[in-house]
Amino acid sequence: MTKSACGYRLPSGGLIDRSRELSFTFNGRVLKGHPGDTLASALIANGINIVGRSFKYHRPRGLYGAGVEDPNSMLAVTDRYGYDPALRAGQVRLCEGLDARSVTGWPSASFDLAAGVQLFSKVLSAGFYYKTFKWPSWAFFEPFIERSTGFGKPRLTAEARTTHHRHSTCDVLIIGGGPAGLATARSLVGSGLSVVLADEQPQLGGSLNWDAAIIGSQEGIEWARTNAEELRSTRGFTLLTSTMVTAAYEGNHFTLLQSVTDSRGVANECLWKLKAEQVVLASGMIDRPLLFAGNDRPGIMLSSAVRRLMGEFAVAPADRLVIYTNNDTGYLTALSASRAGIDVEAIVDTRDAQYTPYAAVAKHIGIECLFGSEVSATQGYRRLSGVTVHDNRGQTRYIRCSGLAVAGGFTPLIHLASHRGVKPTYDATRGIFLANSLPAGWYSAGGVTGTLDLSTTLAQGSQCAQSIGAARGVAVRRIPAENVEADVLEGGASPQRPKRGAASAMWVDFQNDVKASDIELAHRENYVSVEHLKRYTTLGMGTDQGRTSNVNGLAIMAELQGVAIDAVGTTTFRPPYTAVRMGAIANRRQGHLYRPRRYLPAHSLHESLSAEFDDFGWQRPDWYRSNGTDRESAVAAEMSAVRTHVGVFDGSSLGKIEVTGPDAASFLSRFYVSNIATLKPGRIRYSVMLKEDGVIFDDGVVSCLAENHYLASPTSGNAEAVAAWFERWRHTEWPSLQVAISPVTSNWATIAIAGPRSRDLLAHLKPDFNISNSEFPHMEIRQGTIAGVPGRVARISFTGELQYEISVQARYAHALIESLLITRGDIQPRIVGLEAWMRLRLEKGYLHLGSDTNGRTTPLDVGMAGIVAKRKNDFIGKRSLSLSFATSCEREQLVGLIALEGVLEVGGRILAPNHTRPPCPTEGYVTSACYSPSVSQSVGLALIQRGHTRLGEKVLVYSGGTVIPCQVSKPVFYDPENHRLLS
Amino acid sequence: MIVLRCPYCSELRTEEELTYGGEAGIERPPETASDEQWTDYLFMRTNPKGLSREQWCCTAGCGQWFKVARHTVTHEVVEILRYDEAFNTTMVGA
Repeated sequence: MTKSACGYRLPSGGLIDRSRELSFTFNGRVLKGHPGDTLASALIANGINIVGRSFKYHRPRGLYGAGVEDPNSMLAVTDRYGYDPALRAGQVRLCEGLDARSVTGWPSASFDLAAGVQLFSKVLSAGFYYKTFKWPSWAFFEPFIERSTGFGKPRLTAEARTTHHRHSTCDVLIIGGGPAGLATARSLVGSGLSVVLADEQPQLGGSLNWDAAIIGSQEGIEWARTNAEELRSTRGFTLLTSTMVTAAYEGNHFTLLQSVTDSRGVANECLWKLKAEQVVLASGMIDRPLLFAGNDRPGIMLSSAVRRLMGEFAVAPADRLVIYTNNDTGYLTALSASRAGIDVEAIVDTRDAQYTPYAAVAKHIGIECLFGSEVSATQGYRRLSGVTVHDNRGQTRYIRCSGLAVAGGFTPLIHLASHRGVKPTYDATRGIFLANSLPAGWYSAGGVTGTLDLSTTLAQGSQCAQSIGAARGVAVRRIPAENVEADVLEGGASPQRPKRGAASAMWVDFQNDVKASDIELAHRENYVSVEHLKRYTTLGMGTDQGRTSNVNGLAIMAELQGVAIDAVGTTTFRPPYTAVRMGAIANRRQGHLYRPRRYLPAHSLHESLSAEFDDFGWQRPDWYRSNGTDRESAVAAEMSAVRTHVGVFDGSSLGKIEVTGPDAASFLSRFYVSNIATLKPGRIRYSVMLKEDGVIFDDGVVSCLAENHYLASPTSGNAEAVAAWFERWRHTEWPSLQVAISPVTSNWATIAIAGPRSRDLLAHLKPDFNISNSEFPHMEIRQGTIAGVPGRVARISFTGELQYEISVQARYAHALIESLLITRGDIQPRIVGLEAWMRLRLEKGYLHLGSDTNGRTTPLDVGMAGIVAKRKNDFIGKRSLSLSFATSCEREQLVGLIALEGVLEVGGRILAPNHTRPPCPTEGYVTSACYSPSVSQSVGLALIQRGHTRLGEKVLVYSGGTVIPCQVSKPVFYDPENHRLLS
Repeated sequence: MIVLRCPYCSELRTEEELTYGGEAGIERPPETASDEQWTDYLFMRTNPKGLSREQWCCTAGCGQWFKVARHTVTHEVVEILRYDEAFNTTMVGA
């Protein structure tokens, strides 16, 4: 062992595995540590002094805390599985190959050129943004400031770290696995309650892992281990280690972030949503800094952090230590340090001699105790080299040291209660904020209640369990009080602004570089509210949310305002307690897993036909490379095949819902604008369905397969929504109707054949029913055997040509398409993609839901007024169609547009009359558009105000940056007499 | 997170598995309703701060619609009923 001023490994002790060594790098330097180390303890064991630079002044900063409370170490950490841009060193468990880099400081944290900014600290005071960057304007400076702010940089590379979400419920959630949490949990064994115990550390025990104690006949650490083992083997108990409870919400709902680590890093993160009936807050407390001039030098550290580093990780943070304390715990640190072989130069106690019995012990082993004394200044720049101590007789002393442990009292971790809106109450005698009025079902035990005493903590834990048992009416085991040997400490005093030392050298918030002088300035500038002060000075606005700085900041404000600390008010802690990676929140729903992909049953066949797929809710062929080298030529060939010969189109994604039962006809009639009740078996009817507000929700055909047996075909995108819509009305409005709803979309493949030769092609499949034009007319459906398998054939048309839709079991899709594409004599069918299909329907003027309708379109707007008028009985949305909004003549109505010159594009705006170019009022927009090869014109559909009364009118359309003249027409451009689809 | 036990399939489900269906007990007026009655039916809801009567669907489970009396501030669930059962609690403002 070589003692080093900046830290070294102790020869024995700790929970680290000394038999194994881990290599890691810090700012490019290869260092060694042991399993069980945190990055913080490993850095100190290697004598690393400066871990980062402060935010504003770029002052060198060393580790200040041993865990998440540390405001100084902001490190970009890469392990085998992922990258985190800004972690505190104490949060990171060491693993092989870990790479950590300071995110502040350039070119490096230990030599930072920007440190020169300190020379300008006078102009960088609180609110300097608002005072300094006024000329020429804030906008001028903003880009520069943005570049210099923030901690760490995100990385866009994919991670190997997996994420999961778990949603769960339990009877009792215990937050914190220290002595208080364990005492509660062990009393609940056998109660039959389900218990989740969560602790941020990988092993339970909390402070027992570093502070010596005897409970019963066991060492504290053994006691923790024994209890943890029992809990782990108890049915109904879930022990979540390395798990941070990040937020508390209404209804006792919590979010927890669990890290699952292996030897190479954090392999998995699991974000829990957990609802608990009862909650035990056993989150403990952290040390509070003392204020003094020069309190931010590397080498100055929280006293409890020093104890933890020595006890749990066997590292000494310095070779010559001074303790600065206002309570007994500083002595505990001094004695532990002395036992560990660290030279303890002195204990500087702000109190008078009579306060503590520990002074005698300290003196006995040769530690000098200075009572009624204050640290008034510190020396050293890159590392602490000494402190100046003032005593109450006015004497000044300089003490050489390389480390200073600061014990300024305690801050109970009441953040989660604060998330629930609990206002902290101030305990002036101990100088702490407590959560006294906890939410319903909450209990608290241990350090979070302000106790430093282990016996009290254990008793409180048992009492929590008893209260829960009483609340739940279950028996809870009573564990007799055990013999506890631990230091009984007197802790805490109200924080005070020291009388000596320059306020401009007194750091309150280390992370955001807020000094006592900044708070004084804000006070002089009349900032009274703590919330305003916080934002003006940025006190507590860093990623540590002011864990170490809040109370001291409040104390200075209180003193300046001449009021008590609790009269100043406290700021509210908001979730999350520690940062949660966006990746953990997004879970796996990112990239190609953002949403599930649906594939057509014959997907592989489309692939073999060189389909270009697109995601339309399903992966559907947009066009086929086998039909042309580029999209336009392929689409032209596909359209031509349908118009002149025969095309084959996979429409399997089309929705299919079977509706059966004695009331099926009556049921469906209540949804569709057309009367389904009059539909005869074998017949098909096209219609639209509305929401209650009269707006079109879906369109499609309904087929009557047999009496009391119907097949509704909603659009591909609405298949699930329409089935859910049917079910909802059946359950909630018409429960007496005898009807069953079966969504069967994926069970059937539907392949359409369209074109003048489609009947000839259909004949080749040898259907066992007559397919002649007279026996199987348009808008009818047949069931039977086709291509040797059971199937249904519907004669309907979306293209304007003679068209059949053949439905077979999904597993036959591949074979059916294959056989349809076989060249038979002069029949040479061509596969057709969705783009050609959509253009064919546009030529025919059939509306495409969601393109040609919007969230306001009613059936009256799309030319179905006649059908609505004929309906006698009620249907969903009918009443709304007689409201004034629906009958207004100003409505946008669906019409056709023919470009007289130029090319129509979707989204083109129809200019109001008497205007020739934008900007001007517009009266509607182009909803679908394409060049129609069949009529050799650029055509489109449009929703235009008063459209139905404007047929033949010439309008100007602002489309694609140019104004083109168009003629309003009926929404049909091809075969308006329906000769082709009826032949 | 809202957690409800479906009164039909008795499964405990979290809000991601359920569908919220708005206020319960809104009566659908007949076709003969006045414009005002009809638009009230379409758009007017109690929106209470306090106890609220709601419709929920066990979407990821049995698919049944059921009714819940829930406190909108605390998320406390007071009643879970089958759809044809009557509430014992009164909604704030109703």
